[in-house]
Amino acid sequence: MLVYTLKRLFLALLVAMTVSAITFSLTYLAGDPAISMAGETASDADIEYIEKLYGFDRPIVVQYFEWALNAFRGDFGESYYFRIPVADLLLERLPVSMTLGVSAISFAILLSIPLGVLAAMRPNSLLDRLALGISVVGQAMPSFWFALVLIVMFAVWYPIFPTTGSETWVHFVLPTIVLGYYATPAIMRLTRTGMLEVLGSDYIRTARAKGLPQHVILFKHALRNAVIPVVSLAAVQFGFMLGGSIVIESIFALHGAGYLAWESIGRNDLPVVQAVVLVFSLFYIVLTFLSDLLNAWLDPRIRVG
Amino acid sequence: MKKFLAASALASLALVSAIPAALAGKADDTLNIVWERELENVDSYFNTAREGIIVTRLTWDGLLYRDPKTMDYVPLIAKSFKWVDDTTLEFELREGLTFHNGEELDADDVVFTYNWVANPDSGVKTQRNVNWIKEAKKLDKYKVQVMLKEPFPAALEFVSGSVPIYPQDYYSKVGPDGMGQKPVGSGPYKITEVEPGKKIVWEKFDGYMKDGPKGTPTIGKIVQRTIPERNTQIAELLSGRADWMWRVPADQADRLKSSGKVQIINEETFRIGYITMDAAGITGDTPLKNPLVRKAISYAIDRNAIVQALVRGKSQVVNSACFPSQFGCESDVTKYPYDPAKAKALLAEAGYPDGFAIDFYAYRNRDYAEAMLNFLSEVGIKANFSYLKYAALRDKIRSKEVPMAFMTWGSYSINDVSAITSHFFTHGKDDLALDPKVKELLQKGDTTVDSAVRKQAYSEALKLIAEQAYWLPLWSYNTNYAFSNDVDFTPTSDEIPRFFTASWK
Amino acid sequence: MTTTIANRGLPAAEDIVGPTPGQQLRRRIFGHRGLMIGGGILVIMFLMALTAPFLAPHDPYFQELLARVKPPVWTTGEWKHVLGTDQLGRDYLSRIMYGAQISLLIGFAAAFISGVIGTTLGVAAGYFGGRVDMVVTFLITVRLSMPVVLVALAVVALIGGSLTVVISVLGLLLWDRYAVVMRSATMQIRQMDYVAAAKAVGCSTPRILLTEIMPNIMNNLIVVATLEMAHAILLEAALSFLGMGVQPPLPSWGLMVSEGKDYILFEAWMITIPGVALFLLVLAINLVGDGIRDVTAPENRN
Repeated sequence: MLVYTLKRLFLALLVAMTVSAITFSLTYLAGDPAISMAGETASDADIEYIEKLYGFDRPIVVQYFEWALNAFRGDFGESYYFRIPVADLLLERLPVSMTLGVSAISFAILLSIPLGVLAAMRPNSLLDRLALGISVVGQAMPSFWFALVLIVMFAVWYPIFPTTGSETWVHFVLPTIVLGYYATPAIMRLTRTGMLEVLGSDYIRTARAKGLPQHVILFKHALRNAVIPVVSLAAVQFGFMLGGSIVIESIFALHGAGYLAWESIGRNDLPVVQAVVLVFSLFYIVLTFLSDLLNAWLDPRIRVG
Repeated sequence: MKKFLAASALASLALVSAIPAALAGKADDTLNIVWERELENVDSYFNTAREGIIVTRLTWDGLLYRDPKTMDYVPLIAKSFKWVDDTTLEFELREGLTFHNGEELDADDVVFTYNWVANPDSGVKTQRNVNWIKEAKKLDKYKVQVMLKEPFPAALEFVSGSVPIYPQDYYSKVGPDGMGQKPVGSGPYKITEVEPGKKIVWEKFDGYMKDGPKGTPTIGKIVQRTIPERNTQIAELLSGRADWMWRVPADQADRLKSSGKVQIINEETFRIGYITMDAAGITGDTPLKNPLVRKAISYAIDRNAIVQALVRGKSQVVNSACFPSQFGCESDVTKYPYDPAKAKALLAEAGYPDGFAIDFYAYRNRDYAEAMLNFLSEVGIKANFSYLKYAALRDKIRSKEVPMAFMTWGSYSINDVSAITSHFFTHGKDDLALDPKVKELLQKGDTTVDSAVRKQAYSEALKLIAEQAYWLPLWSYNTNYAFSNDVDFTPTSDEIPRFFTASWK
Repeated sequence: MTTTIANRGLPAAEDIVGPTPGQQLRRRIFGHRGLMIGGGILVIMFLMALTAPFLAPHDPYFQELLARVKPPVWTTGEWKHVLGTDQLGRDYLSRIMYGAQISLLIGFAAAFISGVIGTTLGVAAGYFGGRVDMVVTFLITVRLSMPVVLVALAVVALIGGSLTVVISVLGLLLWDRYAVVMRSATMQIRQMDYVAAAKAVGCSTPRILLTEIMPNIMNNLIVVATLEMAHAILLEAALSFLGMGVQPPLPSWGLMVSEGKDYILFEAWMITIPGVALFLLVLAINLVGDGIRDVTAPENRN
């Protein structure tokens, strides 16, 4: 297990390095960062001064290693726009994205696992069809469009939920539904297939033969086994959600990291964009690393192979 | 299953009961305003946004104040002022003024502020607001002199608009960071809470001067929130969770107005739109170097139709490179009325009978830009369109990659052409014409005090710009303000909402 | 990390086994309701895109500033503009018809580019195994850990949006699923007897890949291609919605939603029409994808 863990850790670090290099090279798509930094009223001399001061005239590899080393220490430089450390900005904005991500994934799980289980218990029933319908619709509906529809419904026609801000948990209800619904189809389908497989297996048949009650079979035996792959899928989906929350955050005025990144793209505020991309990637890397370990711990075959 | 249902029923009950009562507006004496912009810093010396000017006017006072109705400069912190000579201004201050933290406001604070912003090392973001100041001198506790580097007729405009007075003791102690987090001014409202980019809360400053030109504030509390999505803003306004918003697009303003749920007032602004063309060949050898082509483009676009159908409100077509009410804005210049046949003829004369392709950029009003694309394509000019965010486009222009762009400029609400024409045509980074004659004339106008001479110089420059079609000036902008029926609010043409004059009905 | 990837709820290689007699297949195709509905919608969309130049009632770029925001015919509109007009007075129906071209083009082109990249990597990893597999798996992991929307937005914003840029960016970003599925499918086929036989008679590697491996993973490829097409279309719509996708005046549906966005509270049809068009297209593609998987792997239908 230790060897396996170390191997995985090494791989995770290598991935993180590569991702950070790609992220950093975004700078060079943007042209001259000194022009953005110098701001509205800069002269050529100002720009040159900034180029020297921040070392933009040095080779890119040198600049990258300096940036990566600083990022490793939690120093992502200073925002061109806000003129404060990017790390401070992130610390302020990340909690909002995290809250949204956690509540959305919880919503998705609470909706999709029961639906998936029910659908698997009665294949081809009305319920199964309903579940399938929900998942098909969920996959095809543009989330920005769904968000706008919810705003019209719940802000104007039936003003039940607040549509903006992040002060209390009530503010997260609508964005949670939009973002969570997006992840529902995949989790539900996996639960359903997993349950079907497990329900058809020998030991469940044995349990049935022993005359165990239905709910014991379902929850004690079947679900527990079917849910293992769902856990790692959920971990991955959570990572995706952090990255995909940009549209939702901007429509619902949630001042999270995704919205920060989107606004920073428009302002050519590259240190912030780089930092957010990197942090979201790292989240994903850490999550998959943990879920790999979890899987290896649950299933010894993986460790050896 | 039953348990699950019961639990979810309970949960939804809990949900409904946990909804906060709608922020009441008039009932709790709080004006809730929303806008789109994330303000980088509330310290006006360190932001460049128009919203920053609104914050400044609420929170700080300058030595003078420009009355938005009469456009006159009247004393504010000053009791009186006079020009000693071309480069010296003298102010006598009101006595007994205090800052929000109780610090007394006297000549020391004024001298401190002027000398501090005049020093380039302080890093004031909009240098042109302050780079005309040489230094300030204290004559006695209530008398100061401000020295200019050279004769600068627009100085009063900046004294009244762009140089708020800061408390010396507090600012020397906390610096720009502290000022950004816990701002202290002497204006009609004091800031009690700042969440950078998200929210600002003001309370009425009870110690504010009683007989000042800004009046006495009446609304107790003002809460500003940043909401990036305009539809969400409108939804907030309609549901009573916001009392005021601005920049409502024309179509929506019509519909909001006819709903009767809110008030809509339209007001013209100093902002004008224009198309800038690379006449100097900065981006390479484009057809735009040929004046005939620039004239053809000018004839090809039906600005009148766009104003009537899309821009609407109090907007009007403009023909010279400035806002009509600005000092020195010559309106008797070469005009290019809509004439597609003439445009085609000019293109043929220039050697492009079948038109040409050109990159065309814009950062706001995508629909106006699209309408222009159509007009251009009718005379055979194929514009490859890119819609970017403002900062990205500005950087691209300065990297010499933009041959043609639809831009706008608000002149910082300064009623003088030096804030627009001189900004763009004196060979700065945004100048795509690089005409030495124009530059010379404008600089003459900028540094002369005699207003007849200034007028003459500006007039010649603007005529030259129009004659050469360096820019195609488009139209003036207007702003739709939408606010609750409970609020009494009067917008002004300088596009700076003054909430200290607002009141409840 | 391979375990995680394999568990993403994607069609696994075992879903599809062996060829089926044509007749049986046909019966299954026509008996599959989802496939029929999805296929039907998709055919209509295709026809709409192809016939737009002949059947569209108006030029989709022709603006009539005096006839702006006319409502569709079922509210208070006129038959001249069945689906109304947009904010510049352009005919909405014509724009929707031409918009189908753009969405389909983006879907196909992006799915094709990413398909070529992903299949090459996946097949190479699955067939050769060892080091090649390690490198490809690493690349997949790197790709998966980059937030797609954010990276696409940043790149388009920095180099400027156009149809070509959007297609290229999406094509370069969406290959991961192909690689994952093709890799595991190839791994299974590689162990089959007929591959061993082909090796034994001395067939060259490219020949084995083309004649033995590719035909047998085609089903999976098509299923993934439909998923990625749908994904690309939705992403383009999202990018255009944020103003970072294809540029006006192209009638992209995502752009139409974005341009109609300002009217959502008063003229909801302006975003409803292109929104529904997008929804139907993506729905149809997904139904067809699901259908193909079911039809080619009947034993998994339960």
